[in-house]
Amino acid sequence: MLGIRKFFLKRQPVFITIIAIVLAFFVVGLILAATGRNPFNAVYYFARGAFGNVMNTTDTISRVIPLTIAGIAFLVGAQSSVFNVGIEGQLLLGAMASAIVGYIVKLPFYLHLPLMLLAGALVGGLYGLIPAWLKTRRKVNEILSTIMLNYPATYLTHFLVLKVIPIEGVVPATPFIEDSARLPLLIPGSQLHAGVFIMILVVIFAYYLLYKTSLGYEMRAVGYNRVAARFHGIPVEKRMNFAFFLSGALAGLAGAVEVAGVHYRFLDQFSPGYGFDSITVALVGLLNPFGVIISATLFGALKTGILEMSVYSGIPRQLTTLINGIVVLFVAAKDILGGWYARIFRGKNTYEAEKEISQ
Amino acid sequence: MNLNWADALKAIFTLTLLTSTIRVSISIILAGMGEMLTERSGVLNIGVEGTMLMGALAAALGSYFTGSPWIGLIAAGLTGMLIGLLFSFIAITLRSNQSITGLAIYLLCVGLSGYLLQIIFEHGGNSPKVNTLPMLHFAFLEKIPLLNAIFNDQSAIVIPVLLLPIIMYVLFYRTPWGSWLRAAGENPKALAVVGKNPVRIRYVATLCGSFLAGIGGAYLSISQTSLFSENMVAGRGFIALSAVIFGGVRPFGVFLACVFFGFMDALQKTLQTVIPDTIIPRELFMSLPYLLTLLVLAGFIKKSGGPADIGNPYLKESR
Repeated sequence: MLGIRKFFLKRQPVFITIIAIVLAFFVVGLILAATGRNPFNAVYYFARGAFGNVMNTTDTISRVIPLTIAGIAFLVGAQSSVFNVGIEGQLLLGAMASAIVGYIVKLPFYLHLPLMLLAGALVGGLYGLIPAWLKTRRKVNEILSTIMLNYPATYLTHFLVLKVIPIEGVVPATPFIEDSARLPLLIPGSQLHAGVFIMILVVIFAYYLLYKTSLGYEMRAVGYNRVAARFHGIPVEKRMNFAFFLSGALAGLAGAVEVAGVHYRFLDQFSPGYGFDSITVALVGLLNPFGVIISATLFGALKTGILEMSVYSGIPRQLTTLINGIVVLFVAAKDILGGWYARIFRGKNTYEAEKEISQ
Repeated sequence: MNLNWADALKAIFTLTLLTSTIRVSISIILAGMGEMLTERSGVLNIGVEGTMLMGALAAALGSYFTGSPWIGLIAAGLTGMLIGLLFSFIAITLRSNQSITGLAIYLLCVGLSGYLLQIIFEHGGNSPKVNTLPMLHFAFLEKIPLLNAIFNDQSAIVIPVLLLPIIMYVLFYRTPWGSWLRAAGENPKALAVVGKNPVRIRYVATLCGSFLAGIGGAYLSISQTSLFSENMVAGRGFIALSAVIFGGVRPFGVFLACVFFGFMDALQKTLQTVIPDTIIPRELFMSLPYLLTLLVLAGFIKKSGGPADIGNPYLKESR
């Protein structure tokens, strides 16, 4: 009996997050029911839309890619107590930069593709340095500054596709990128592209950086307790600046991968809010690189599922943002669940259970 | 292509600019004053933008279904309070991270307002036109161009809103509740020692602040325009948050900061009409309010401006 308790207590954060998500979706179901939509119907169309056939499943996976990379972008920031809510803007600028490099530059693919991805990451990272400077030098709350910076980034990309770059065809977009800058498709005819490998590399990189290097250790120390980190001799501001840059760079990379793998050009308003979803993805993934893949899969499925859902069961697509909000709210409030949870699994012999776990 | 700059300047700086400054400032002032009240009690509510959005929707719905914009206004305030209550419960009672909770509230409100709009009117983007708050016209002010531009033909709630900083000043510095409020933000434990409950004061401040933010949103949908459109608050909540910082969390400072941001918005709109798109693109003007806000935050922030205990949850047992 104590063994089971020990198991549940040790994995408390994971189980509490799962409970929080289940509760969040329960609330979403209530909202659906209250507004006259059938939640069970919704779940059916959602599942069909996300995993119903090979096409839909590969589409889901192709959405997991930007969500994971952007989620990691938020994660590396949040681990260093940098809340980068500007991922949407950095992602757009990164995508734009990579698209421009993709269609202007002529190079063999082994140079062109890396250069294009690098351009996206670099521009995203540089844009991330603006809130970094504001935060570490001018003490401006980064949530505020990064949210505000999303607007100029969006307008800039609008401006570029509408008024600077000559439009081919009807949709506002850049010209198509060269073949040498495209990520190959893994299954012809589907949307699943080689960006999956970039995603896996990013996850391993984030894990290695944060948990296996002293730089990552220092970043996490800054995130855990800034004052203690400073007394420990860690250059807190430098680490935060780096976290901002890295976060922005990964956001830019996420945009570049979308351009190289899915759209082959910068399509105006191509991002269905990946930047904001990344926050939810990272928080639900418990700010753990591998957790992010799992939660990105959930939210990737949500993204594709909701398309079919909105077509067949008359549920507005705005439900995604609503779900994001409710999930983050529950994840933010999960500490109260922690109290109940601990009480349930500890039972009466709290002391013995504590001792058992600490051993 | 050629632009006569002297004529352009004349076309820009008119009394109409003053009128539109007041018009676009009102929602920022309401949200800013509300957020200032909340922050004074030691609570940072980043979800103002969302609260305004829900307020805007509630006002449009109230006005649409009853035909009375005043009912819409009340609905907006109450909706704001409801969202404030949700935020308070999670951020104050459960002591969750205030920034993340605020962010969640923002996302929730963006999603919920868009969702409800679609559900209720069966088509996306906009609500139908709704009745707006009456405009006031004072005949005796017509002779004085300046006052005429500020007060005449403005929405009925403009004058009470312009009085808000005075009300807040009196509340903060001339009433016992005001000093408790400030104590809750500076040192809640000291306040608890004298027998006041910081949690209750933070709740009241957050609810009142959210009420004002809701009204601020209502102003957008039933006065500045006459419909609700998706995401219509467009960052004004975040600009109000910046104004609170810029204004040093003090009534007149925040008020002036809000008017300043309102002026920038009005200026940007005027510039768009006067200067052709080919010379300076519209997108640059549209980015201006956000860029200027950041510039202002970078340049003028005061380190000792805000309450000492802001953002920290109050826990009775802790020392």
